[in-house]
Amino acid sequence: MTALLETKGIWMRFGGLVANSDVSISVGRGEIVGLIGPNGAGKSTLFNLIAGVYTPTQGSIIFDGEDVTRLTAAERCVRGVGRTFQVVKSFETMTVIDNVIVGALIRTTVMREARRKAYEVLEFCGLAARANVLASQLIPSEKRRLEVARALATEPKLLLLDEVLTGLTPIEAQTGVELVRKARATGVTVLMVEHVMEIVMPLVDRAIVLDLGKVLVEGKPADVVRNPKVISAYLGDRHAVGA
Amino acid sequence: MDQDFSQRRRRDLLVAAVLAGIAALVPLFVKDVYVQNIMVLTLMYAALSQSWNILSGYCGQISLGHALYFGLGAYTTALLFMKFGVLPWFGMLGGGLISAVIAMALGYPCFRLRGHYFVIATIVIAETALLLFQNWDWAGAALGIDIPVHGDSWLKFQFARSKLPYFYFALALACIAWLVTWWLEDSKWGYWWRAVKDNPDAAESLGVVVFNSKMGAAAVSAFLTAIGGSFYAQFVSYIDPESVMGFQFSLLMALPAVLGGVGTLWGPVLGAVILIPLTELTRSFIGGSGRGVDLIVYGTLIVAISLARPEGLVGLFSPRRKEIAR
Repeated sequence: MTALLETKGIWMRFGGLVANSDVSISVGRGEIVGLIGPNGAGKSTLFNLIAGVYTPTQGSIIFDGEDVTRLTAAERCVRGVGRTFQVVKSFETMTVIDNVIVGALIRTTVMREARRKAYEVLEFCGLAARANVLASQLIPSEKRRLEVARALATEPKLLLLDEVLTGLTPIEAQTGVELVRKARATGVTVLMVEHVMEIVMPLVDRAIVLDLGKVLVEGKPADVVRNPKVISAYLGDRHAVGA
Repeated sequence: MDQDFSQRRRRDLLVAAVLAGIAALVPLFVKDVYVQNIMVLTLMYAALSQSWNILSGYCGQISLGHALYFGLGAYTTALLFMKFGVLPWFGMLGGGLISAVIAMALGYPCFRLRGHYFVIATIVIAETALLLFQNWDWAGAALGIDIPVHGDSWLKFQFARSKLPYFYFALALACIAWLVTWWLEDSKWGYWWRAVKDNPDAAESLGVVVFNSKMGAAAVSAFLTAIGGSFYAQFVSYIDPESVMGFQFSLLMALPAVLGGVGTLWGPVLGAVILIPLTELTRSFIGGSGRGVDLIVYGTLIVAISLARPEGLVGLFSPRRKEIAR
């Protein structure tokens, strides 16, 4: 089976800064893939390239058999790319359910249908009790879940999660992990950016480590964490010697 | 909870019907022409502010140049009637369509601007249009247009003897603007607009085509505003650039919505009902005492309300907000 998402030789330059150089990754259908790496590794840039916020300087992005390199974020959403934001971007003056309805409206223009769908997604994400609360009144962990709910309402094939588990308490993070697993169980493929390794590693099927804009290592989480290159990228060369 | 929502929608509709019914009966008891005049203006501004609210309140693209569309509506109707004998009803429609097209043509470059820059662009464009009309001889230049009066007629939409037909038309216009908003509020467009207002990047990621949303809001908003302008031209039967395209109109369209509650269904109506009579009354009772006193009173009141109710007066009536607050 072909991969759901493939980037082929992606380069991204911001002026003189090369954020991604020759990045080729692929994500198979039904996988949970973690995109990790130290700060400044180019994770967010790659993530935004896949989501359609930027167009790569060079290279192409193939999603579901189609070249989407030049498509806008909205067009990619229609084709099945859903995303969350690292810094949450809720629609603050709207209620929780209305936030999710915006996402649901991409698949139906019948309001009753969109509302029903949105409510369903809220239940799935454990936010149903907060449906009529303004998004601005949610606590941070709920806002993260709202981001996921909104993205899920667009019925994505690929869900891009940008540090949804970062900054949560261990219990909240655990709830988040379960939500991601549940989402995958419904057939959604997940690509998640994280830099907290302990949380991500047990969750993902495969990890891709970026460093200095390049793919450093990729493979099973257990192998990746023991890889000397990864340890040195995260902790510096001194620590890698003993590994 | 789906039921709660539909119930609220139905209740809004019912309240609107009752209020419109009551408003329709008022002229039976109020015969004073001066008061009737204020009522006509109040309804007109309710409609205009409701139209402004679509682009600026729901979609969040604050326009302080809506006088342009108001003026275009007024001028299209007046010119078509004067020069070509086209009935005002068609002129109204024509003015609406021209305004909608111009709003989109202007939106094309301007919607790339965000926040304050967009506001400034709207002001500048409206002021430019004002200058153009002041110097356009064919359209009467600074002298304006005297719409020829042929006696009372629904066909030509002019009434010299009574204000009542204008009153009912203004009421109908306010109802239409309200209904359009009511309908749009629970539609894909309504949701898209609010999403664009709150966070365009997040909206885009959810499949909202931000640019098209803004264009749609601008077109609907400009169309309805121009209908108001056409009406105004018939109502006063004399227009000149300053009296239909002046900056004060842009403000008077924005203020009721701001005062009543930006981006809410009832805000513009509530704001207009309070603000317009106040404007007229302060002007007639203390306006003559020295230029500006009425405006000082007016300004003070707006500041007071903004401080007490930053989200608009609608907050006083909204049970939903109380439920939400924890």
